Amino acid sequence: MESLTTTIIEAIALLFSGDAELWNIIGISFRISTTAIFIAMIPAVLIGFTLAYADFPGRRLLISFFNTLLAVPAVVVGLTLYIVLSRQGPLGEWKLLFTQSAMVLGQIALSFPILVAMSHTAFQSADIRAWDTARTLSRNPLHALLIIMREVRFGLLGALLAGYGRIIAEVGASMMLGGNILNSTRNIPTAIAMETSKGDFSQGIALGIILVSMAFVLTMSLQYMQGKGRLTHD
Amino acid sequence: MTKHIPVHIQFSQINKRYAKKHFGFFTDNKTSKVILKDADLELKGGECILLTGKNGSGKSTLLRILAGLLKPDSATINTGLETLSWKKANKLIRQQVMYLYQEPYMFDGSVTRNLEYALGGTERGKQSPNKIKQALKWANLEHRASTSAKCLSGGERQRVALAQAWLKQPSVLLLDEPTANMDEESRRATEDLLCKFKDIGTALLIASHDVNHFHHTMDKRLLLKGGLIMEIYDEGVDKNKDDEKSSHDNISIFPSKKQLKSNI
Repeated sequence: MESLTTTIIEAIALLFSGDAELWNIIGISFRISTTAIFIAMIPAVLIGFTLAYADFPGRRLLISFFNTLLAVPAVVVGLTLYIVLSRQGPLGEWKLLFTQSAMVLGQIALSFPILVAMSHTAFQSADIRAWDTARTLSRNPLHALLIIMREVRFGLLGALLAGYGRIIAEVGASMMLGGNILNSTRNIPTAIAMETSKGDFSQGIALGIILVSMAFVLTMSLQYMQGKGRLTHD
Repeated sequence: MTKHIPVHIQFSQINKRYAKKHFGFFTDNKTSKVILKDADLELKGGECILLTGKNGSGKSTLLRILAGLLKPDSATINTGLETLSWKKANKLIRQQVMYLYQEPYMFDGSVTRNLEYALGGTERGKQSPNKIKQALKWANLEHRASTSAKCLSGGERQRVALAQAWLKQPSVLLLDEPTANMDEESRRATEDLLCKFKDIGTALLIASHDVNHFHHTMDKRLLLKGGLIMEIYDEGVDKNKDDEKSSHDNISIFPSKKQLKSNI
């Protein structure tokens, strides 16, 4: 217990000491995950929207497909992309393996099913009249889409946060695709895994505090926004 | 509000049936139910048509097809200039036709916010507050401008929806039971607004069970039965029809020859 307290105190001291290496790891982590979520966001929300409102053969099959992808472990996603990006793989010529781009690709692949499944749920949870009303009011399909997106904005924000939470804290794909190279591909989860294996818990705890604080801030912001726009009865 | 150039749209051979689909691919024809069978309908600017029919007869389905919100199995649309398939005419329909639910859906936000949605891209901007003020005044909703639209009563929601239509200025307005579950005062207010639309040349198609309430507003009454649309001539309703037609006392049903043929 005493050693845990000491480690936490050391970790907090490390955070406030302005340790360049530590803050560089934090910067890389946020940069990669934010890029990945921004790239995945628009196509995933559009697919979620299409699955919710369009009627086409194979729609249910596609919904089941994306729901199944939710259960795929990060390490399997990492392994698949590793094979694709390795020298002998189909995209080996791009020389992306062990770069930040490979990590971004891995995180896109991980967050995409979450964003699709949760945005689909958000659109489908809207009142059945909402989409028809948006279509009948709007002058063009994009205007209608923006109206309905605003209506289900809390569900979409929730999807975004869940997707972000999944990729910022995952270690399997980042380790396999990034290689944990200092000042290049070492992010928070891979650094925690490495420091723990070395027995240096204080840096691991310091990075863990950052992850937990970020999750807390994001959840609080969502709750604040939901509270502000609390819906009344319909 | 400016007066429309009177529209004249003919919807012909509208067919729609609902069938169960297995795995989203295979249609089960055995359980399919015919909703509309070669239904024809003509909408003219400034004319108010009352569409009656039993529950489940397909009134709402027809209205949603006419509004471009539901795909029919087949339908052709004559705009006066050309004859188009439903798919090709869909964009035009969506711009010119507006459909209002029995209980209009209000989006999250104030009444003003809900009205803003009805403004087109070019109208949104500096002039939009003025236009919205005019719409609120037109629908007698000025005192409700900043109220959350989800807190409004049924009658007020219907007036917000009509104010949205006033802003969008469609050529055709389709209304599904617009005065259902309303008190006398709200019903009268809604009917007054509908008359204003009629006066400016908007074609109105109202689906309702309540013939008496629209007795003074309607020009024509149609009955939807067994997937067919039939015209009903009520005494004193068809004010502008010639003597021959208006001489039909009480109710007489005249399905088109084609409909009769297909029914046999």
